[in-house]
Amino acid sequence: MTVADAELIRIDGVAKRYRTASGVVDALGDVSLAVPEGQFCTIIGPSGCGKSTLLGMLAGLVGPDGGRVLIEGQPVTGPDPRRVATVFQDPGLFPWRTALENVEFGLELQGADRGRRRAVATELLGPLGLRGFAEKYPRELSGGMKQRVAIGRALAIDTKILLMDEPFGALDEQTRMLMGEWLLDIWRRTNKTVIFVTHSLHEALALSTRVVVMTARPGRIKSVLELPLGYPRAMESPELVTLRAKLWSEIRDESLRAMSES
Amino acid sequence: MTTSAFRLAILSGVLALWEIAARAGNPLLYVPPSAVLPSLVNLVALRSYPDLLEHVLLTAREIAVAYALAVAGGVGVGCALGGHRVLGRAYAPMLAALYAVPAVVWYPSLMLFFGLDAASKIAFGFLLGFFPITLAVLAGTRQVNPHLVTVARSFGASPLAVFAKVLLPGMLFTLVGGLRTGLALAVIGVIVGEVLGAKAGMGTLINHAYGLFRTADYVALVLVTLVLIVTSDVLASLVERRARRWTT
Repeated sequence: MTVADAELIRIDGVAKRYRTASGVVDALGDVSLAVPEGQFCTIIGPSGCGKSTLLGMLAGLVGPDGGRVLIEGQPVTGPDPRRVATVFQDPGLFPWRTALENVEFGLELQGADRGRRRAVATELLGPLGLRGFAEKYPRELSGGMKQRVAIGRALAIDTKILLMDEPFGALDEQTRMLMGEWLLDIWRRTNKTVIFVTHSLHEALALSTRVVVMTARPGRIKSVLELPLGYPRAMESPELVTLRAKLWSEIRDESLRAMSES
Repeated sequence: MTTSAFRLAILSGVLALWEIAARAGNPLLYVPPSAVLPSLVNLVALRSYPDLLEHVLLTAREIAVAYALAVAGGVGVGCALGGHRVLGRAYAPMLAALYAVPAVVWYPSLMLFFGLDAASKIAFGFLLGFFPITLAVLAGTRQVNPHLVTVARSFGASPLAVFAKVLLPGMLFTLVGGLRTGLALAVIGVIVGEVLGAKAGMGTLINHAYGLFRTADYVALVLVTLVLIVTSDVLASLVERRARRWTT
């Protein structure tokens, strides 16, 4: 039982196929993965390898066709906002709510009273760098700010697990790097378990304690890279340059395969 | 300022033309505004039609009931069609086709079903108001970004919470437009119903005055009805403006 206790997330031989107009697509084939508490686990792989599908299963939004997903030893049957919060690539802010009201959304659903909601959300806006923007509507915010509001909305319900599906994918490179630093800071202070999907080698190497490389469709786990390094990481250090080359060679083959198939 | 000045200018211009044209014609058929004014005073002072207030209240009540039914039915059916893709695809075109039929063709059968009393007027007002509301709700559910629904679900939102916190605010703009059109049409339905055949209500009085060639009284009654309609539309536009500020 001691092993199972340390595992917060267990993915057991899950598979997923989609029926489309042009036939059946095997999105995910037999993926198994265990993630202990407190990790920053990045999933990287070529387009269409089922990364997002895997994350959707953890979020309880997508049901697997085979295998099972366990969180704290219990099978996932649907969204569980007490354990899991999700940030999507599209921030998906509610345009009729202010930044503050967006951050309050999850607590509102859980029936928290107005005073507590306000207090939690207001306190979060500081570290989010949004102190002066509480009353702004999403259309008045920049892309990076919107995504920080979305992250704030996920942090507000204070779950053990934070799922992030290419959260910085739509941002420019500088903003991305700053957001990465900022996310690290949050992660290290809150000790959450983060499952982070990305296309970016840089993000994977700068942020993760572990990188999971997936194959082209149907997505399987190709290799797992442990990164027992401190922060902040000097990306030009010989160690990281070597790791980067290794990671790239793993991903390159799969990306080539994905390109030739699509 | 300039808008109201313009409005005033247009209004007085129309009244002047009306006065001139009416004086040139048969006074039994064409009433000048100068003749309407005393009739209006008589009407409002309850001299020409002592039971005016009852008729106004009856019409207002019929409108209120017809509109409430149209809103309930329209929102319900619209959500059902918008929520189920197959159902929506099957019935939406039929709905649009029915909406295109001049509704007045249904009125005789409504009178047969519901009689000459308020029920047939309410049914006709409902029929006219129901379609634009249903179609607006249907369009509204389709314009809500499905990603927002996914986000809400990921935070554990129940179907009811998704409706109240995502769908409703997301389609408010379209919905309010439909509600306003629906109100205008429900008012038209009720009054037209009364004109076509009823025992009481503003439409009946209008029909009565018109039938007896009491043209000045007829115009005065139309003016009172107009006030009733304009009031309802002003109320609706206030609600619409509030909603407009709230969304986007």
